[in-house]
Amino acid sequence: MRSHIAFRTEPVELEADYVVVGSGAGGATAAVTLARAGASVALVEAGAWRDPAHYPASAYGAMRDLLEDWGSQVTRGRALWPIVQARTMGGTTVVNSAIAVRTPGDIFRQWERERGVGGDAMADAIGRHQDAIERELSVEEVPRGSLGRSNLLALAGDAAADYQGHVMKRYVASCAGTGQCLQGCRKGRKQSTNVTYVPELLRLGGDVLSCAPVHRVAFESRRARGVVGRFVHPETRAKGGRFEVRARRAVVVAASVTHSPALLERSGLKSPALGSLFRAHPGTGVFGCYDEPVDMNVGVTQGWATTKFRESPGLKLETLAIPPELVASRIAGGGTALMERLARYRHVAMWCHAVRAESCGTVHNGLGDRPVVRYQLDDADMRRFRDGMRLVAELHFAAGARSVIPGIHGMPFELGPDQVHLLREAPLDPRRYVAILSHLFGGCPMGKDPRESVCDGDGRVHGVEGLVVADASVIPTNLGVNPQHTIMALARHFATRLVQ
Amino acid sequence: MLALVRSACVALYPRTDALPGIEDTDLDAFLVRFRRESSFLLWLGVVAGAFVFAITPLITTGIPLPAFLLSKRLRDRHANRIASHPIYLLRQAVMLVKLAAGLCWGGHPKVRAAFALPPYPDEPSRWRTSFDEPSPSSGDATRDASPAKTPPVGDTA
Repeated sequence: MRSHIAFRTEPVELEADYVVVGSGAGGATAAVTLARAGASVALVEAGAWRDPAHYPASAYGAMRDLLEDWGSQVTRGRALWPIVQARTMGGTTVVNSAIAVRTPGDIFRQWERERGVGGDAMADAIGRHQDAIERELSVEEVPRGSLGRSNLLALAGDAAADYQGHVMKRYVASCAGTGQCLQGCRKGRKQSTNVTYVPELLRLGGDVLSCAPVHRVAFESRRARGVVGRFVHPETRAKGGRFEVRARRAVVVAASVTHSPALLERSGLKSPALGSLFRAHPGTGVFGCYDEPVDMNVGVTQGWATTKFRESPGLKLETLAIPPELVASRIAGGGTALMERLARYRHVAMWCHAVRAESCGTVHNGLGDRPVVRYQLDDADMRRFRDGMRLVAELHFAAGARSVIPGIHGMPFELGPDQVHLLREAPLDPRRYVAILSHLFGGCPMGKDPRESVCDGDGRVHGVEGLVVADASVIPTNLGVNPQHTIMALARHFATRLVQ
Repeated sequence: MLALVRSACVALYPRTDALPGIEDTDLDAFLVRFRRESSFLLWLGVVAGAFVFAITPLITTGIPLPAFLLSKRLRDRHANRIASHPIYLLRQAVMLVKLAAGLCWGGHPKVRAAFALPPYPDEPSRWRTSFDEPSPSSGDATRDASPAKTPPVGDTA
């Protein structure tokens, strides 16, 4: 059988060996791994399936078509920081910059020490899976000709300031440098799972449901037997027919860090650790203002990064380009003052940091199957946060910027090279900053002890049969690097263990 | 409601010598489309933000009038001050209007041209239906040149 079933008004019933919930980095990788082993697999995705020719070009279109609730999900805490997640076939692999970073070795030692999972055996397995994924998804360094001036400036600043950075490696075959990563690559160069693993799953005889948000996992006694939900029209959001997908062997949940714990909670799973250890990489951008036009939207969206500060103070620095419509709301002020600032758009480069934050939050199921995330940074993480902004500002000046725009409420709008020290004393109140949460972890943390973890080191949920979690929600600590490579390798590892 | 939101958008993104204002960027059509296509909660948030914008000139300018009745100069001062107001929730409420308006303003061909960027193509919401055959020709993809290989499972673990 080989079928794709999108929005339907009539009921749909299917059966497969394995049902996989979610088609992002974890779900699609797990599904194709199971199918390659000869199993029948049904993949169920809440969003619509859009091919590169369907992708929007504008930020408006991306928010409408690709993001969860227009990107309007925010944390509940002192500050309302947005959580960026996609809701489309391919999940966040469609809208991220496809950055491939290997799992740092210390992570496996930390998991073994703190959680009783991981260790050298898992490190070896994950390393081999990452080798294979890099071959399959064409991981390559951004071609020099696609870097664009913003990334070249970062390289120059790095050389001057010794940030030990590098040109990024990404799951992109021959990047065209269109600056459209965040809206989905209309050139089809990005190897997101909707153009790689999901089509392969279909070729291998799998079933794919799109526009199909899962409401709950169905259990018989202590065994997961399938999933149920109702189709939702991707444009009108009207409810469609009911679907039920039965699993002969297991249900694999990979619905994201926010949705996986919420789904398991409303399915009745009882675990004291469910929804715990939510972590993230909160981050923000610092604009550098240059004499010459930078035109940051020309060239690859993200092309340079450094992990020099990953262990201390706990940061990753990267370049990032955003279009004028997003810069407009990111720059402080309104009226003619705002317009005068926006007039310099061509001369600014936005580089950002991601904080390896140790603060933990929770995820629980809310009204209308919407996850509720409670999260806020403690003072130690806020110090890291402002340290990161200072480091980005210093990189801009090393690259020749005339000034920087940090965007901290209550501080000068623009800082010159002799004012960077002000960032050392910037306020620790998160409400003063415009930040987002990217790279989420936890919610269904893995570990040996069922009292402190939802699943074991193979992603199997403690205390029930036939239920595996295979996305970033199992990651019990903060990686400090872009997580897609780790998520894919873990999902492949779990799926391999499942069929062995 | 549309008039209320429109008024706040125009005050936040006024026309200047260097750049088109939001009233030059088909704002009315955008707002109708945004109300139709966005979720109810998001639209409600934008309307609430516009309401906050309208009723707060007293705390930014000392004038007890709604924003849309202020002089152009005072409205401009209000727009800047309320968007940077020390009270977080006021600032965030207006931020939502600013975000929605920014999507209209920054995505318009006139503004993109001012920044030496090409116009965006039309982008109706399209997706793959149950009846669409999987197409390898989406975009000018090179993925067929580097397809996912299919090693037997367990090969690498």
